[in-house]
Amino acid sequence: MSYIELKNVSYRYPLAETDALKNINYAFEEGKLYGIIGENGGGKTTFCDLIKGLIPSFYGGDLTGEVFIKGKEIREWESSALASTIGYIFQNPFTQISGIKETVFEEIALGLENLGVEREEIIDRVTSVVRQLKIEHLIKNNPNKLSGGQRQRVAFASIIAMETDILVIDEPTSQLDPKGTSDIFEIIHLLKEQGKTILLVEHKIDLIAEYADEVLVIKQGELITNGKTSDVFSNVNLLNEGVNIPQIALLSNDMKEQGKPFDTFAITRSQAREQILKKGSEKICH
Amino acid sequence: MMDETFINSYRSPQLSKNWLLNLNPLNKINIYIALGLITLFFQHWQVNVVITLVFILLAVAAGRFKSFISPFLKLGLVIGPFFFIVRAIFWPGENMIFNYGIINITQEGIDLGIQYATIMLVVCGILVLCTVTIKAEDLTYSLEKIGVPHNISFMILSSLQLIIDLKDKTNVIMDSQRSRGIETEGNVFVRIKAFVPVLSPLFLGAISGAEEKTIAMDARAFSSANPNTHLRFLRPTPALEKILVILVDILILGLIILGVVL
Repeated sequence: MSYIELKNVSYRYPLAETDALKNINYAFEEGKLYGIIGENGGGKTTFCDLIKGLIPSFYGGDLTGEVFIKGKEIREWESSALASTIGYIFQNPFTQISGIKETVFEEIALGLENLGVEREEIIDRVTSVVRQLKIEHLIKNNPNKLSGGQRQRVAFASIIAMETDILVIDEPTSQLDPKGTSDIFEIIHLLKEQGKTILLVEHKIDLIAEYADEVLVIKQGELITNGKTSDVFSNVNLLNEGVNIPQIALLSNDMKEQGKPFDTFAITRSQAREQILKKGSEKICH
Repeated sequence: MMDETFINSYRSPQLSKNWLLNLNPLNKINIYIALGLITLFFQHWQVNVVITLVFILLAVAAGRFKSFISPFLKLGLVIGPFFFIVRAIFWPGENMIFNYGIINITQEGIDLGIQYATIMLVVCGILVLCTVTIKAEDLTYSLEKIGVPHNISFMILSSLQLIIDLKDKTNVIMDSQRSRGIETEGNVFVRIKAFVPVLSPLFLGAISGAEEKTIAMDARAFSSANPNTHLRFLRPTPALEKILVILVDILILGLIILGVVL
């Protein structure tokens, strides 16, 4: 059984004249990291809002088709049950802090308080998450006084503490500097290793190539292509669809066009390095 | 390195070394408001001044004098004189001191102005004392314990935080205006001229942020039907504290009755 399944899903916002999502069919499997890419305004965030259950309950509008989360239709889920199943982190680090807690430790505990978790368990879970994300130095700080990158890490910690199986992460690094971006991808890597099912919207395509198991490309509300990350990025024609391709994938394509292809199409730096070293050693041997 | 002492502080009531700060937030409010009520029944400005001095002494007793006195003076020195002037120059009376057009200064107006100005000092004293001696989260937790719904207490806390957020955002916008060479310092007219254009980005930003904050709270299971728990530990009110509050209330009630009879 698929973890999340969309069947013939279309959605139109209230007062809109066209559909924001058009006839989407897809099945997400447990424990994989899915990269969702595409042009701005193409429907990626709407797609995330749909999976999170904000559509149509929060935004209204017309939703047709079916969305199943762990086999249960999304309209049948209670809001609190969905919150403890799907975690949601979005781009603005400043609005993800509740603003009502005095310390980072209390901020991370907020979701657990709302779920009615007992104090001792809250302390244990928050302490564990703080250790995992290496934010021990922040726990006594006022969350309203943190930098953007620190706030985003606290937002991640707050959601991870709720121990959701699925994480929807919408452009988490769009407002962060390179150091903040690197910290966030370290966390995403950790979550992937823990076997979480992750839907990640991200424009930093090289990082998607590095971390995603599969990629979905959404354009004007339609799922125009999907598949294994290496397969999707080996199709450089996607550039014509306004989709960025990793630099390494373009290099692999250039090598192919020059009649000197890699043995396997490289899309990440480590893959390219491996191929180049291999070719180098073969040359030396010959 | 994890601060275990800090984490363990959540396993027991987070008490300070000060007896006044350790009182239950609702008991503190009870005492402050009861003291404030005396002013309404005695109708003497001297009584209001004494109550204000009691508030200052309470701030000293709580070890919060420094954080109390500055906002108290800022607030009191604006609101108090305002009420005095309004009453003093417009209130009709028989003992005329000065009259010019609509300005009508009488002895009765001045007396009433002093009375109102000192009442305002008491009100400011209550407000500032509440903010410096009560943690907002402890207050909302204690309200929840007596049956106030969780979403109401969240609204109280976020409204308080919103004031701080708007102030911070105003400073950010003003700083960026200044960096573009726009004059933001100077006399009151220059400041108003600089401040008015800030209002629309400030409030539009707050409105757009509200939607995202709602989604963020939804992601934290805010709408959960489960009864919520609390990480912070609010001490059960000791018997001695209950007796103290009852005694203070009885004493104040006695004073009020005395004031009415006299």
